[in-house]
Amino acid sequence: MSYELIVLLAESFLETVHMVAVSAFIAAVAGIPLGVILVTTGKGHIMENKKLNIILGSIVNATRSTPFIILMVAIIPLTRLIVGTSIGTNAAIVPLSIAAVPFLGRIVESAIREVDYGVIEAAQAMGASPVQIIYKVLIPEALSSIVLGITITLVSLIGFSAMAGAIGGGGLGDLAIRYGYQRFRPDVMLATVIILIVTVQFVQSCGDYLARRLSKRY
Amino acid sequence: MIELKEIKKEYHGASGSIHALKGIDLGVKAGEIYGIIGKSGAGKSTLIRCINMLEKPSSGNVVVDGEDITLLSERQLRETRKKIGMIFQHFNLISSRTVYDNVAFPLELAGKSKQEIEAEVLPLLELVGLSDRMNRYPAELSGGQKQRVAIARALANHPKVLLCDEATSALDPQTTRSILELLKDINRKFQLTIVLITHEMQVIKEICDRVAVIEGGLIIEQGAVVEVFTRPQSATTRDFIRTIAGYDLPAIYSGCSFSPVPLENSSLMLRLTFLGRSAEEPVISEIIRKFNMDVNLLFGNLDTIQDTPFGTLLVELSGDQAAIKSALNYLQARKVENEVLGYVVRTHSITG
Repeated sequence: MSYELIVLLAESFLETVHMVAVSAFIAAVAGIPLGVILVTTGKGHIMENKKLNIILGSIVNATRSTPFIILMVAIIPLTRLIVGTSIGTNAAIVPLSIAAVPFLGRIVESAIREVDYGVIEAAQAMGASPVQIIYKVLIPEALSSIVLGITITLVSLIGFSAMAGAIGGGGLGDLAIRYGYQRFRPDVMLATVIILIVTVQFVQSCGDYLARRLSKRY
Repeated sequence: MIELKEIKKEYHGASGSIHALKGIDLGVKAGEIYGIIGKSGAGKSTLIRCINMLEKPSSGNVVVDGEDITLLSERQLRETRKKIGMIFQHFNLISSRTVYDNVAFPLELAGKSKQEIEAEVLPLLELVGLSDRMNRYPAELSGGQKQRVAIARALANHPKVLLCDEATSALDPQTTRSILELLKDINRKFQLTIVLITHEMQVIKEICDRVAVIEGGLIIEQGAVVEVFTRPQSATTRDFIRTIAGYDLPAIYSGCSFSPVPLENSSLMLRLTFLGRSAEEPVISEIIRKFNMDVNLLFGNLDTIQDTPFGTLLVELSGDQAAIKSALNYLQARKVENEVLGYVVRTHSITG
C-alpha cells in the first residue's frame, strides 16, 4: 500500500471522527433533554403535558422512520441554510445530527422510564420540584443506561457516516466506496473495514466500561 | 396534628369510576402513633398518600399542623412536604447515591450548605445505627438497613409527622420488630407524630396507640388499640385479631351448631377476655366453687398490648342450666368481658 493511500486513509479516518464526534455531541446536548421531556410530559408523570408529548413523539417517529440516505437529501435546503453549503464534511454533520437526536432521545426515554417511580414519589414527598427531580434523581439514576445509549448512538453514527459520501462528506465509508469498490482496490476496502471494526470495538468497550463504573445496581 | 375531613377519592378509568375513599374522617393527635389497618384494596394506601397530597383527594380537607394543605399551591405544598417525612414499603432509595448522600438528599433540596448537611446527617446515621455503612450504596444493604436509611432520610428535615406506607411489609419478622422499635424510639425522642398503614395486626399491636380499621374506602372501626383488640365490633377487625390471637374455635367444634337458647344437656360456650388487672383475678376457680359446675378450658391466649396484659379464654361451662345462668350473671357482674357463642349439645365425647 502506497504512502499516498495511507495518508488518504488517515485523512478519511479523521473526517469520520470529525463528523461522528460533532453530531454525537449535538445528539447528546439535544437528545438527552428530548428523552427526559418525552418521559416527564407523559401521562401521570411529573410534568404531564399531553400536547407537547404527542407533538414531540410524532416528530421523533417521523424522523426515525425516514431512511438516512433520503433524510440526508431531503434536508439539503436546511443544510445549506445552516452551514452555507450542501456538500462536504460539515454539510454531512447536519443530517447526521438530525438523525441522531431522536435516536438517542428514544434510548434516553427508555432509560429514564426504567427509574423506579417509587423513587420519584419519595423525592416528591420530600418536596422536590420537577426540575430537581430531573437533575438529582432521574438523570443520575439513569446515567449508566444513558452512557450505553450514547455508545449505541456513536456506533450507529459511524455506520450512517458511511453514507455521507453521497453528498461529498468524505470519511472512511466514502473511501471504501470510491477506491475499494469503484476502482477495484480490495486492499483499500479491507483496510477501511478493519479500521471501522477496530473503532467500533473501541467505542463499545469504552462505553461498556464507563457504564459499568457508573452503575451502582448490582 | 392531622385532621382529615370527609376525604373522598375517585378514579376515573375506562371501565367507569372507582371510589377508593368514600368519606374518611380521621384525627391524629400530636405525638401519637396512629395505625390504619386494612386488607389490600381497602384504600389505606390512597388514604396515607392523601396526607401529603401525593394523591390529591377528589373532595375533603387535609389539615396538617393547623394548615389546610388541600388549598396550597404546588410551590407552597413543596415547602409543607419538607415537614412531613415518609417511608415506603420498597424503601425507594436513590440507588446511585451512597447511604450518606441519600440522607443528605432532602437537605440538598432545602439548599443547605455542605457543613450544615454533615452536621445533620452524621447524628442521623448514628441514630439508625448505620454510621459504619455511610459510604455504601443501597444495593449493598439488607432490607432492614435500607429502611433505616429511609427513616434517617425522612427525619433529615426535622418533620413533625412521619408517614409509613407499609414500611415493614417487605421485611422478615425479626427485622420488622427492630424497625418498629426504632420507630417507637424516634416517636418518644422527638415527640414525632407517626401515621402508619399496614395489613399486619402485629404491627398495630406492637407500637400503635390508636388504630382505625378501613374497609371498602370507609373507616369501619377506630379507637385505642387495647379497646379495639378487646372489643372488636366488626367481622373484619375480628379477622385481623384472629391472625395474631387464636380466635378460632378448636376444629372439633367446627361441625357443631350453636343454639342461642339452652337445650337439654347442653353446655355453654363462652369467650372470656381479660384485660389489665382483671387478668389477675381468679374468676374461673371462683365460678367452679360458687356454682358447683365444670369448666372446660378449650383454648387460651395471653399477650400484652402496649404493656397491658391481655388474654382470651375459650371455655365450656357444663352443669345444670340454672347454675350456668347464674355463672354467666356473675361474670357479667364482675365485668369480665364475655362473648356468648351459644349452647352446644355434646353429641360425642370431646377429648383432648
